[in-house]
Amino acid sequence: MTGSSAGEATLAAGEERWQRLPPWLRPRTVELKGGGNLRLIETTLLVLVGVVLATATVNDVGREVGINRRLIADLKTWRQYTGHDYHNISIDQEALGAGSDREVLCGNTSPGPPKGRTQICLAIWGAVVSGRRTVHGGWYLPPGIEDVTARRYGCFGPAGRGRCPG
Amino acid sequence: MSVAVQSERGLVDVRSQRWAPALATLCGLLLVAAAAEIVLDGAAGASPLIPKSPEIAGWLQGIGERLGYRVFLIALFVSSGAYAGLVALARRASIDRLRAGAISKRWAIVLIAALHVIVFAGPILLSTDVFSYIAYARMGVEHGLNPYLHGPLAIAGDPVSAYVGHDWERVATAYGPLYTLLSYPLAPLGVVGALWGMKLEALLASAGTLALVWRCARVRGFDPVAAILVVGANPLYVIYGLGGAHNDLIMMLAMMAAVSLTVAATPSARREAGAAAWVVAGALIKATVAVLLPFMIVSKRRLAPILGTLAAVALGALVGYAAFGIHGIDVVAALNRDAAFVSTDSFATEIAHLFGKPGVFPIDHDLLKAGLVLILVHLLWRTWRGYDWVAASGWALLAISVTSTWLLAWYILWPLPLAVVTRDRRLLAATLAVQALFVVHQITPLLAPVQ
Repeated sequence: MTGSSAGEATLAAGEERWQRLPPWLRPRTVELKGGGNLRLIETTLLVLVGVVLATATVNDVGREVGINRRLIADLKTWRQYTGHDYHNISIDQEALGAGSDREVLCGNTSPGPPKGRTQICLAIWGAVVSGRRTVHGGWYLPPGIEDVTARRYGCFGPAGRGRCPG
Repeated sequence: MSVAVQSERGLVDVRSQRWAPALATLCGLLLVAAAAEIVLDGAAGASPLIPKSPEIAGWLQGIGERLGYRVFLIALFVSSGAYAGLVALARRASIDRLRAGAISKRWAIVLIAALHVIVFAGPILLSTDVFSYIAYARMGVEHGLNPYLHGPLAIAGDPVSAYVGHDWERVATAYGPLYTLLSYPLAPLGVVGALWGMKLEALLASAGTLALVWRCARVRGFDPVAAILVVGANPLYVIYGLGGAHNDLIMMLAMMAAVSLTVAATPSARREAGAAAWVVAGALIKATVAVLLPFMIVSKRRLAPILGTLAAVALGALVGYAAFGIHGIDVVAALNRDAAFVSTDSFATEIAHLFGKPGVFPIDHDLLKAGLVLILVHLLWRTWRGYDWVAASGWALLAISVTSTWLLAWYILWPLPLAVVTRDRRLLAATLAVQALFVVHQITPLLAPVQ
């Protein structure tokens, strides 16, 4: 329906000023019946957007589950390597490159509050085999210190090369 | 239609009539049980889901166990399932006019009240935002600092600073001057007193919003019982919104006050000006709701809403400037700053990951803004040509939350009260679908818990 008569019929009082506009541009107080095509296009777009959002959400859940499984393997590796079954182990996912699958895990070398004792940091990457990954080296940190290059000492292994000061 | 088919359908209706009350009761009980589980376990002490807080729910200790991700997520999924069942029953009841037997007005109000009381009595859930609100209030009242110029770190010695989220310590307030002034009377009450004050504000705002949803639904010819159930029993609304005492609830109250004034049977210039003023008041609490104004103005095409807007903006700017200087009314700067934030739950981040990118880049922010502008222009055009401005506003709020790179659970509540009072049922379906995706995205710790 595109006739001007229908458009005029729905104009509220005092809206005569809009009559100068072409019918397709005039404001309306209620929508024209027969706008099914527009509604169909909108609904199709909404469904497409919904499919993209749902796919992205499911993909992201899968991605996060993969990351978590990797971190679980890293924690198991740290505990087996150090022989300590500690729970307060910090994980840095960006120290060896943001977006990579290489992680640095730091934890105490003896029982104590989180970061309260000398800490050992392990650089871990590679495939998960039997629930663990490979330790490629690491370094030590004094008690109460965050992992910054200036405070590292005792670097070991290929991953520790060049990561201690001096 | 054959007689056999008719009688079969009649039999199904009789059966569903019989089962509907029992199913509704079951869904309601599951919602209450899930909320109680979260609150009681949350009150038990240190949990990654409960922000560090002064002890305000100590009297609930000893009943639950420490709240872990597993229990929280199971409770969230159970309540989401029960909510979906309840929404379906309420919709069916309102269509079939079976409500008297399935979901009565009293039953719905009791259920929503129970959920609200349970969450109100418990600790702050899932967010440190309320401590930022208190910190900004104490900065102004107790320390004589302008919260639009300094982050909570400026009052590092204040008792509240220990509870402010680490990411927000250096961030000045992004909330409107009206909200900041509303929070000022709570500052002298101390952290615990202010916390209860904030919880009470959120509770009253929610009650007011639901009352207005009821009124708007009734005036517009919808079932008000179904409408308040969809909003008031929504798990994200109850657990995240009310549980975190978020000021979004106060913004939504102002939003529904505006809608309520415009749905009156006899429109008047005074009501339309008042409605516009309420939107401005909402924007002076949290700027997002300002998106309603162009739709209201385009729909009404009268001078009254424009005058109401101008008068309210002038008054708000005057009060904001007098209280906080130019920074108190520089809404654009605060919006620009917040638009740059990125959260892992945002759809933008999820789509970036889908395309193999590590995250959202500056170009993505621009693309999202361009997409949002296109959507808003389309909605304005539709409103100009007679589409319901309330529905258009709801779509606009939904589009803002979906295109935002900083998405939090309480942002996807914004369109909900509008969705239940509009004839375009696609809005409610889309809002609930977005909420469902948000809930699904939380599932990772349940599938692969890192310990």
